[in-house]
Amino acid sequence: MTPQRWSQLKSIFNGAIEQPADARAAWLRAECGSDDALRDDAERLLRSFDTLGGFLDQPVQIDPADVALAEDWPAGHRVGDYEIVSTLGRGGMGVVYLASDRRLGRSVALKSLPALLANNPEMRERLKREARAAATITDPAVATVYSLEEVEEHLLLASEYLDGPTLRTLIDAGPLAATTAREIALQVARGLRAAHDAGVIHRDLKPENIVVGAGGTAKIVDFGIAWLERPDGTPHTKLTRDGAMIGTPAYMAPEQLVGQPPDARADIFAFGVILTEMLSGRHPLMAGAGTPMDPALQRIADRARETDPTRRYASAGELVAALEASSVSSGTGGETAIPTPARSARFWWEFHQAAAAGAYAAMLVPAWLAKAQIGGVEGRSVFVATAVAAIAASMLRLHLWFMSRQHAGELMWARRRSAPFIRLADILLVVSLVVGAGLVAAQSVLDVVLLALAVGVTIAFAFIEPSTARAAGLDTTGRV
Amino acid sequence: MPLVYDELRRIAARYMGRERPGQTLQATGLVNEAFVRMAAERTREFQNRTHFLAIAALSMRQILVQRARAKHAAKRDGGGHQVTLDDFSAPPSAVRPEFGRPDPDRPGDVNVLALDQALTRLAEFDPEQAQIVELRYFGGLTVEETAEAVGASPATVKRQWAMARAWLKQALESGAL
Repeated sequence: MTPQRWSQLKSIFNGAIEQPADARAAWLRAECGSDDALRDDAERLLRSFDTLGGFLDQPVQIDPADVALAEDWPAGHRVGDYEIVSTLGRGGMGVVYLASDRRLGRSVALKSLPALLANNPEMRERLKREARAAATITDPAVATVYSLEEVEEHLLLASEYLDGPTLRTLIDAGPLAATTAREIALQVARGLRAAHDAGVIHRDLKPENIVVGAGGTAKIVDFGIAWLERPDGTPHTKLTRDGAMIGTPAYMAPEQLVGQPPDARADIFAFGVILTEMLSGRHPLMAGAGTPMDPALQRIADRARETDPTRRYASAGELVAALEASSVSSGTGGETAIPTPARSARFWWEFHQAAAAGAYAAMLVPAWLAKAQIGGVEGRSVFVATAVAAIAASMLRLHLWFMSRQHAGELMWARRRSAPFIRLADILLVVSLVVGAGLVAAQSVLDVVLLALAVGVTIAFAFIEPSTARAAGLDTTGRV
Repeated sequence: MPLVYDELRRIAARYMGRERPGQTLQATGLVNEAFVRMAAERTREFQNRTHFLAIAALSMRQILVQRARAKHAAKRDGGGHQVTLDDFSAPPSAVRPEFGRPDPDRPGDVNVLALDQALTRLAEFDPEQAQIVELRYFGGLTVEETAEAVGASPATVKRQWAMARAWLKQALESGAL
């Protein structure tokens, strides 16, 4: 639509709505003349006008939660002692960021739970109580809650940052092998036992809340805060404007669905549904048969999700015992083993770091030869500069390599911190190699070697490293 | 601008603590409350009340669009709160056409994302009409307040408002955004 066309249409529209309804058609024909397209547009617009009804009649209705939660902190934003690295996601109760704790230099998953708390001391107290209880859970299968902090009007919950797919992603890829399912189930059951012993019920256990790391370690997240989704205890049945259900009633125990306050057995019910889903590849309420399940594990899953809470396992401890006593028939269940996301890409990135560290150390040899050839103060200076740069760049890379292998959760932070130093060392190395090449006797083959090394280092750090980092999902400019 | 934005969010947060979940309020109330709160301390930053209301309407539109995008992205990723490397890659621009249809259960309610897109298009050939819609719908301004904000007569605002509504309704229904 051109502005000229639009203003033509506007004057016809404004004129037409002044006309009595029965005279409008004739009036339009007269006004538009032979311009049929214009008349069509005007007629369509008038039809729409006649059927406006309540369209946009009232100002927009606002759910205060929508407005209150619509915050978004950019990377680099500082809140309290945390610096935002990136946004990981948004849930019904706030935004989750990857942040670095500047006091301790570690990566954390930072949940910002604002709004809720501005004027509701009761809720704030409850959250503090639950977070405190959740922080006492020490089990490898429960994501560690670090702290709950109040910064201005925000409440921030910092917890362990986990890097891996959720159980949902694994199940979506197909039923899990029975041995894998048992392994994950055991860890989750032990995590539940530890949490229940600490007096914390999850209330919203589901595959989305279980993160499976490389190597198959399962961790339950969001202990102690699931109730925030529906603080009055009502089940998840509120429909959003788009008609989607908030949350998933699919994992809620029957007694929870009718509004009774859930206890530990509600978590056990959810566990049973999840175990069934892992084994068969489909939710028990979905139509059709899934993959045949391992009989021993199926018995455990069935008992865990009995409709009558008194017929379920009485505690997560009993569940652990049953799983430990179970033996899985070999070859049952699906094929899906635990994938290692971006593993091969991460391998190449690690390989790059290790190889670069080795290659830089090896540069001491030509640098030493160059020192002998150049001689004097210049020779020594070139050697010292090359050696310092090569050793620094090499050590920093070895450090990153080590972090990636041993403390993957803190790798992002380590990379951010060391990136400027690595760049500096690389540049110094290239410069000293080029200077060395210029100073050695022109007829010497060392001249060529040093120049080639300088070019090689430049290519490696300007092109190869960024691409391996990007492939491994470590590119700091993109998503995590 | 960020000040008004933050004030709207703070007020909404207070409402959120007070009211039952799911209860809605009209843009008019929120925007006017923000004015009352901010007028006391920051009158000098705004030429007058309508200038403030216009900024508030724009802020409200941005807030609601941002929130709708976030919800949309979260829903497509399964709605879980814990997120991993694979999640939340949905580009905010990826709005599917079915989102343009009004919800049959809530007559008069429109999809914010679709409306925002349609408004952006309308602004290309008629910025005044688009602004009138923003003020009236997202800011809850009356015809008179709108007339003052855009510097036109109330009669003109009424005519423009009628045509903009007709065009937007047609645009949303045809889904041809």
